[in-house]
Amino acid sequence: MYAFQSIKELLNALVLGKELLGEMFGKRKSFDYRYDQAIEMIEESKVTALIEKGIIIRNGRYLEIEDQLFAFFEQILDVNEEINVSYINEHFTLLKENIDYYLIENSENGKYKYLKSIKTSLRKMGFICLRNIVDLNRNIDNTFKTEPNYKIKIKKLENYDHRRLDIKRLILVTEQLIDEEELTFFAVAKEDELNRITTELRLQLQDARHSLIETERQIIDFLNQVKLQSKISEKIRQVKYLKDQFELESKSDILFQLGEMNPVLFESRPSFPVKLSLETLQEEEIYGLIRDLNKRQSSKVKPKIPMAEAINPSFFNDTEETDVFINMEEMKNNFSASGNHLLDFVLQYKYPKAVDFEEMVYCYCQLISLYEQDMDIKEQYISHRDTEFAIIYPK
Amino acid sequence: MSTNHLKKEVFEHLIRGTFICSNSSMPQIQRLYAYIDENFEELESYFLEINYILTQGDEYYHFTRPEQKVDVARKLEQAFRWIDMVDFFKSHEASFGSGHRFEPQAIAVHLKVNATLKSKLRALKKYTNTDNELEGIKKLVELLRKDGYMELENEISDSYKVLASFSYLEKLILNINLSEEIQNEIPE
Repeated sequence: MYAFQSIKELLNALVLGKELLGEMFGKRKSFDYRYDQAIEMIEESKVTALIEKGIIIRNGRYLEIEDQLFAFFEQILDVNEEINVSYINEHFTLLKENIDYYLIENSENGKYKYLKSIKTSLRKMGFICLRNIVDLNRNIDNTFKTEPNYKIKIKKLENYDHRRLDIKRLILVTEQLIDEEELTFFAVAKEDELNRITTELRLQLQDARHSLIETERQIIDFLNQVKLQSKISEKIRQVKYLKDQFELESKSDILFQLGEMNPVLFESRPSFPVKLSLETLQEEEIYGLIRDLNKRQSSKVKPKIPMAEAINPSFFNDTEETDVFINMEEMKNNFSASGNHLLDFVLQYKYPKAVDFEEMVYCYCQLISLYEQDMDIKEQYISHRDTEFAIIYPK
Repeated sequence: MSTNHLKKEVFEHLIRGTFICSNSSMPQIQRLYAYIDENFEELESYFLEINYILTQGDEYYHFTRPEQKVDVARKLEQAFRWIDMVDFFKSHEASFGSGHRFEPQAIAVHLKVNATLKSKLRALKKYTNTDNELEGIKKLVELLRKDGYMELENEISDSYKVLASFSYLEKLILNINLSEEIQNEIPE
């Protein structure tokens, strides 16, 4: 690999290929990036320069980001796929070594150097633990949701469970280191910043332990679901096979199982016919309903509808009948103008037709009942043909 | 709404042999599920008086009877129908189960690249009565929808949702016991 002389040179090289690197990193899961695709995007000379500097590696037709850089990008961007427990282990060993050196070292300057690297390691450990748990959770979730093969899915989830145990063990070991194993060091190296870092680490570890409990629950839940699903798939396959061989009834206890249960869903849909009352049937609304229902009834048998005979045309001829009516309104008006009392008026009135006494009495009564408010009814009576009539004047 | 009204709705729903599921997207069913959930014991004794046992399943409720009402032959015929259908949908997607969403169109597309699935659908012609693949799938979905195992979630995209009651079918199949000897006879 090309040896970079300074960080500046490396950064410059990365800036040179930033578009290509961004694109390649973004598409790392979807497809392998090809050389010809790269030269479409940036100039060929730049691609060659990147390859020369070892930032991109050419693998036949394909291009890959250099492994170390790739891991660096993934880690720094929080998207690494692999849960790397060894990374923590490494820090752990380094930490222990540095603590030993610190205790042995006599010069203050040397001690300071070791203390500094101890602090860095401590700071990183909690962070790495948490980061690993986040990665673990994401991977578990992804596997559960996207892995189509049940066997691989179960295996993967089981492996993640091992990883979870590894992380758990590491948390425990780290805690032991702080609280039990290196008491001398923490007693000797009393320093504010160190204290702060250890407290923070303790909190982070506690957090990590709590999240791991949730992770454990998640894995168990997923594993159970997957196992149940695969068990169901397997069972359906077997049952269906036997069914297709017409052997299910004889080779399984399905008849017994079905005999044991009585859910309503095996029954045919019940219908509850209700007879309507005669009153209801006579309602206008119901008549409409009956008509609608009747329209839907289609029968091939055409009922013979009895026909009535034709109507005699003479029925259509107009007939005239004339009747003469007494206009009460007019009679009342005349009465108001006359000044006679009502009986006199009724007897002398010029009726439009011949009227007998009974009808006159009828008119007398009707006028009173219709126009009572316009009449002045007196207390006196008058006798006429053995009948008493009240004396009434218009008002 | 009065509780009597809800009782009536619960009865009218369950008497048809369907389910009241917790994951239904219809507000009316959700309301009924919540009502049963809160008053399970009261409703259980209430319906027992008219000879129905309100039975609780995994996130669903349905009616059972205390005694046998249907002969086993009919049950067997019904169970066979469900085994065929569950097998078909599980072959399409192994995770096909409660909460799964799908479109009949998508299954039809899958059919084009999956010969096993295609032959399974053809074998189900006795239920679908059609040679048209999409029509056939729709018919199967409709049958399961009528029985209360799935519901039409979006009319525009024609997308369906598998209800919690689907686990009843899974349980029914899981409960069938096969002896070890017979299991070994069945080819992989």
